[in-house]
Amino acid sequence: MIEQSTITSAGAIAFVTPVVSSSPAVVLRGLTKSFPKQRGWRAMFSGKAPESVRALTDVSCEVRSGEFFGLLGENGAGKTTLFKILATLVTPDSGSAIVGGHDVLKSPSRVREVLAPVIADERSLHWRLSGRENMRLFAALHGLRGAEATRRIDELLGLVNLVTAADRLVSGYSSGMKQRLLVARTLLARPSVLLLDEPTRSLDPISARSFRQFLREDVALAQGCTVLLATHNAEEAFELCDRVGVLHRGRLVATGATPELAREVGEDRFAIWIRPADQSAIDTLVARGVVRQVAVMEDVDGWSRIECDLRGGLDGAAEAIAFFALRGVSVARCEPVKLSLADLLERVLARHANA
Amino acid sequence: MHKAWALVRANWLAATSYKLSFMFSFGSLIVSIVPIFFISGALQKTMADVIKGQGDQYFAFLVLGLIALNVVSSAVNALPSGLQTATSTGTLEALLATPTSLSALLAGLSGYEVLLALLRGFVMLVAAGLLGAHVAWLRLGASIPIIALVVLAHLPIAIVTAAMVLAFRTRGPLPQIVMLASTFLGGVYYPTTAIPGWIESLSAFLPLTYGLNALRPVLLEGRPLTAVWRDVSILIAFTVVTMAASAVAFRAALGYARRVGNLAQY
Repeated sequence: MIEQSTITSAGAIAFVTPVVSSSPAVVLRGLTKSFPKQRGWRAMFSGKAPESVRALTDVSCEVRSGEFFGLLGENGAGKTTLFKILATLVTPDSGSAIVGGHDVLKSPSRVREVLAPVIADERSLHWRLSGRENMRLFAALHGLRGAEATRRIDELLGLVNLVTAADRLVSGYSSGMKQRLLVARTLLARPSVLLLDEPTRSLDPISARSFRQFLREDVALAQGCTVLLATHNAEEAFELCDRVGVLHRGRLVATGATPELAREVGEDRFAIWIRPADQSAIDTLVARGVVRQVAVMEDVDGWSRIECDLRGGLDGAAEAIAFFALRGVSVARCEPVKLSLADLLERVLARHANA
Repeated sequence: MHKAWALVRANWLAATSYKLSFMFSFGSLIVSIVPIFFISGALQKTMADVIKGQGDQYFAFLVLGLIALNVVSSAVNALPSGLQTATSTGTLEALLATPTSLSALLAGLSGYEVLLALLRGFVMLVAAGLLGAHVAWLRLGASIPIIALVVLAHLPIAIVTAAMVLAFRTRGPLPQIVMLASTFLGGVYYPTTAIPGWIESLSAFLPLTYGLNALRPVLLEGRPLTAVWRDVSILIAFTVVTMAASAVAFRAALGYARRVGNLAQY
């Protein structure tokens, strides 16, 4: 159970979370950003100011040092804009963003010394250079020289398991190898804050899983970085992150510790296989408040798969199974449903509206 | 400097990874010098009086003009082209996220193309020398600061063009205007004094005019650097004034791109 929930200044639902470190690595206060819309020919010559699209609205949140923080949201939710503001590539319209004690507007070069974005786009590598030469270039750009640079490059190539491929052209690397090289390149500067924008989007499921493990164990824990991960994959966020923030249409609608958030919004969703699909039994369970939001999903060989929210999670499941048995309804299987991003957003938004 | 050099080195490694293409680019230089040798030889009598004071041989006069024009073309186009490539390949965002100063980044993005143009110019000059061009080789060292000034004087045009690329994704007309004017009014094929009427006065606004006015007496007639101090001073003044203005334009473009969010979009 969530011990306490409050509404933050930005209107997001916040949950009490385990403390990683008391000092904040990233502090966002009322961050707002709009982009001008593309104008048509007539509008261009009419002298009218271009319309704008709001990308972020009053986003406030803190990420503590050493934390693995997930930013979850659908495409266009504002995740990348937020990351670009933190990386000093985009300036906010209002509000402030402090990284490692430095303001992104007042001290952008200081921010770039402590924060590094992992540009997940493979094209941001120099494909006609070897992996080692890519590393050497960025070591120089981060001010590393001579033996120190060589030592750091070797260390990181070892960390990302690219030692044997280090002298091959990057154009011959697989997607997974390129992603690992992108991370290694970013770690050259020993950043205290790392931004990962959908790092597994071009990876197959098996590579994605091993890459997630690498991020958690070898990057976040071993390197001691504060990591901000933007993703539209709820499973990825719940697997990796200590805390998650949910962005929806530019607003941070919820933040919370991952286990609590997952339990609050997702862990009471179950799929139950029953035969026959006794509607009166289901209606009785709904009337008693044991189940909510019931949807009959499919029917295979007389078995109906229903999805529903069960009050009290596993306790509710036991109660529903016992009730079905009492009514002569066979139950073949009862299992938790993994929440999709769409489901999660729907629930978070419903909670947000109620709050 | 170290950071700019690292970018130049990376561009060199990337370019030389296409070995055949790299070799052909130098091979074509040698081939292109042969028709220039014959055509300028045929025009020697006609041009002998016109080029007086800037060497006695039209072949050497023309080769030096073409080398300078190539260097100017690289100085004007290398930075916007490097910026466009870095934007379209996606490397710009990664470069801008590093703690690298803007000047180092700009020097690094354009440095390789400019240095390559200088190297190609030297190869062309040696090839011309082998074909009998009258070059004062002992004055090669004295010509280096003039060439450097020619490059520096054109960098502001490159920076303003790069600012256009950054803000509006287009180079605009400036580099084309400068290259067209430099080609026909900068003294590449004939001295600017041979240009008729009021059009000649336009050449006074082109840095290449002063560059070639300084370069030819030194490298083709063996005169000392002090003999061309007036042209060198104008080049320095031109560089200082336009460099400051272009830096302001570039910072404004960068701020605009950060505001509208198109810094790394293509």
